[in-house]
Amino acid sequence: MKTQLIRRNMKKEFNGWWIISLVGAVVILLPILFIFSSIFQEANENWLHIRQYLLKNYVANTIILVVLTGIFTALLGVTLAWIIAAYDFPLKRFFRWGLLLPLSIPTFIAAYTYRTMLGYTGVVQSTLRNQFDYQINSEWLRVSGISGAVFIFTLFLFPYVYLITRAFLESQSTAYIENARLLGRKPLAVFYKVVLPLSRPAIVGGIILVIYEVLGDYGVTSYLGIHTISTAIFQTWFGMYDVNSAMRLAAWLMVIIVGIFFLERLLRQGRRYHLSSKSRPLVPVKLKGIAGIAAFVYCGIVFLLGFLIPFIQLLFWAKMTFVKVWDSTFITLVYQTVFVAVISTIMILVISVVVANVSRSHSSFSFILSKIVTSGYSIPGPIIAIGVLAIFISLDHWLAPVYSKLGLGEAPLILSLSLIMLIVGYFIRFMATGFNAIEVGFEKTGKKYSEASRMLGIGMTKTFFKVDLPLIKGSLISGFILTFVEICKELPLALLLRPFNFETLATKTYQYANDEQIYEASISSLLIIVISILSVVILQMIGKKVKK
Amino acid sequence: MNLAKLFKPLIVGTALTITLAGCGSNQGDPKGDESAAQPKTTENQEVNIYTARHYEADDELYKNFTEETGIKVNVVKGKAEELIERLKREGESTQADLFVTVDGGVLANAKQNDILQPVTSDVINENVPENLRDVDNQWVGLATRARIIAYSKDRVSPDELSTYEDLTSEKWNGKLLVRSSTSLYNQSLLASFIELNGEEQAQEWAEGIVNNFARQPDGGDRDQAAAIAAGTGDVAIMNTYYVGLLANSEDPEELKVADSIDVFFPNQETTGTHVNISGIGLTKHSKNKENAVKLIEYVTSVEAQELLSAANYEFPVNPEAAMPELLESWGDFKMQELNFDTLGEHNKKAIEIFNQTGWK
Repeated sequence: MKTQLIRRNMKKEFNGWWIISLVGAVVILLPILFIFSSIFQEANENWLHIRQYLLKNYVANTIILVVLTGIFTALLGVTLAWIIAAYDFPLKRFFRWGLLLPLSIPTFIAAYTYRTMLGYTGVVQSTLRNQFDYQINSEWLRVSGISGAVFIFTLFLFPYVYLITRAFLESQSTAYIENARLLGRKPLAVFYKVVLPLSRPAIVGGIILVIYEVLGDYGVTSYLGIHTISTAIFQTWFGMYDVNSAMRLAAWLMVIIVGIFFLERLLRQGRRYHLSSKSRPLVPVKLKGIAGIAAFVYCGIVFLLGFLIPFIQLLFWAKMTFVKVWDSTFITLVYQTVFVAVISTIMILVISVVVANVSRSHSSFSFILSKIVTSGYSIPGPIIAIGVLAIFISLDHWLAPVYSKLGLGEAPLILSLSLIMLIVGYFIRFMATGFNAIEVGFEKTGKKYSEASRMLGIGMTKTFFKVDLPLIKGSLISGFILTFVEICKELPLALLLRPFNFETLATKTYQYANDEQIYEASISSLLIIVISILSVVILQMIGKKVKK
Repeated sequence: MNLAKLFKPLIVGTALTITLAGCGSNQGDPKGDESAAQPKTTENQEVNIYTARHYEADDELYKNFTEETGIKVNVVKGKAEELIERLKREGESTQADLFVTVDGGVLANAKQNDILQPVTSDVINENVPENLRDVDNQWVGLATRARIIAYSKDRVSPDELSTYEDLTSEKWNGKLLVRSSTSLYNQSLLASFIELNGEEQAQEWAEGIVNNFARQPDGGDRDQAAAIAAGTGDVAIMNTYYVGLLANSEDPEELKVADSIDVFFPNQETTGTHVNISGIGLTKHSKNKENAVKLIEYVTSVEAQELLSAANYEFPVNPEAAMPELLESWGDFKMQELNFDTLGEHNKKAIEIFNQTGWK
């Protein structure tokens, strides 16, 4: 009876879509399994040292950082999303878009910029000193430690929450919000009683992206001197030359991630979030007088701190060092950065759409599948890099007979010296970014349309192209922006997996910043920011055209 | 289950993936393709480097080398430890001929991991004195930086300074600045003390330093100098290289910082000042050995060394090479005398001591 059921289910679900999903999952899983295999090796004395002196501290710091950043990004992201979606006030149309801009600044660049700007030689203290003859205690303005990191992460990662929540509120919540308003609820009550519960999947989706980002971060935390599990992975590996203990720590990090997943799953158990099928846009209410000014000031301050101030600071530094640093190789850098990012992003989106479509069946198997393909995001870049490298080198050895037949020489490294390796690295790391955006898209359209189409006798593939794809176009676009920008900003994978003579803007920035040459790093930082912004603009324009 | 249903999406997906991957390998990396194809046809025309030194001055050297010899230089930059890991995993198949990095401890580690091979060249031996080469000739020094004591010109007289050990004394309580123990520079410094003074004294030293912290370690070497200027502390342990960068900054505020501090070479009467050495080594499975040796010979030549020192404020390893004015003004100093291998050997112990003493 039971086996029959299973066989029937398998027959029902097993098709080409599944095969592609499984292939994607295997590509992602292999390097990760490689990491996990370290757990089963015997712990060495380094591990005992780590456990005795460090682990408690690392875990505590990591949790504090994640919780604080989670809370603050949620506060900032959700309130801004609500204000922008539901109200009209001066410059709102600008802020709607402008509040995404902090995402264009890589967090490690933001940390360098703020720290230097507020430091002793920075513009704030030197102006006070030179113009007003006032030396403020420079310790007060020091951006460091956990408070500094939370400040940077909040200001530059909140757009994840903002973007996803806003998109949701603008298109999906209209009926509920208008009803509540009609029934005489005050704005605050509407926010608490309707908006918050309704947009929970979107908010949580955004926060989870932020948490991933924080957990995998090395640039900011190491620069600001905080020991987290992620920095510990580096220190164990590079300081103690102990890859196994490093991987053991990485495996622990993944345990935390899986824990967060299940916690979230548990909390929303049994609730379904497909909403009204009529996705009418929400009509904003005009804010008058002080309320309008307050909304303007709130958005304005966040925009200034999260984008304009650091951007202008970078411009100044770029002007200062332009003659010394600029040459034509920057053009090549731009080309290489964009090229590798576009290829990787398209690959990620194609596989994301396939897997997300498959996992709509909500079986436990598809749930596991979707968790596998997104797990790469939770692993720090260098660890993925080692996994990918190991797999590619064995692939090359395995293919050696083929190479020698093709006349390429004995046991050469072909794949592991090509750009494919880096692209696969990106694919594993950023699958979650594309996938989550598309999953939200599927979740909010629900299954009604595709079920109707299937009932009417149209196959899964045709249904997908005719019905599903047009419905999730918006999610595709936001998935593209997020993934593309992420890849342009990515550092450790690019450092380790790129072929000879291949540099990206991020690696160039790192080259300077790592050497404490913050001013010299400004030009490549600016180029990353400009590319990110342009990609948002272009896709926004495409989005508008598509709507028309 | 009909076959078309099974295969249509599969074919579409595979086709897409293959096309994309194809794009990736064909157009994505014009230079990479070249280098992959070259070893067959023009074997003697190139040399491949894995380097952890990300300096413009180095790129300049490689460019000059190509101009002089016609040998093309291909570079992968990365973190030293990641590159070592990569070399280990690539094994015999590696395309890398040379490994370049900062810090003797890392070089010793590369040696321990058996990824290098000895180089013998009269030219190199003449260019670089013996104490700046590996004892087994597995790597050759490229440049050095001294880890010195920077002090406030206003508040500290150089007479008050003497040794690294003296920094643990009562008079510097709450006045000492140094960066985090995650910095390799600090790890190698402590490792050198373990070698020279023994584990117990090294541990006492680290404890004494932690006791005298003006603040919890924060930021890089430049930040320590700025903290002296800001009055947070009076003395800092930092690298000469960063003093050079500060003194040649585009930012007038940084010039003021550089102006407010001076450099003291500690332990001149005793064990000598600690130096960080950058080195270049031939990989065990190098495919272009001759070219690689030529490159080592070039980068240690007087011409290349002068260029490097002038652009990067590092001390040249070639004693014939002239130094820029700033470095010259500091005068000669006595270096620690030790086998750089020991820095690698004691690195782990150093980290353990840091963790135990709470040096963040």
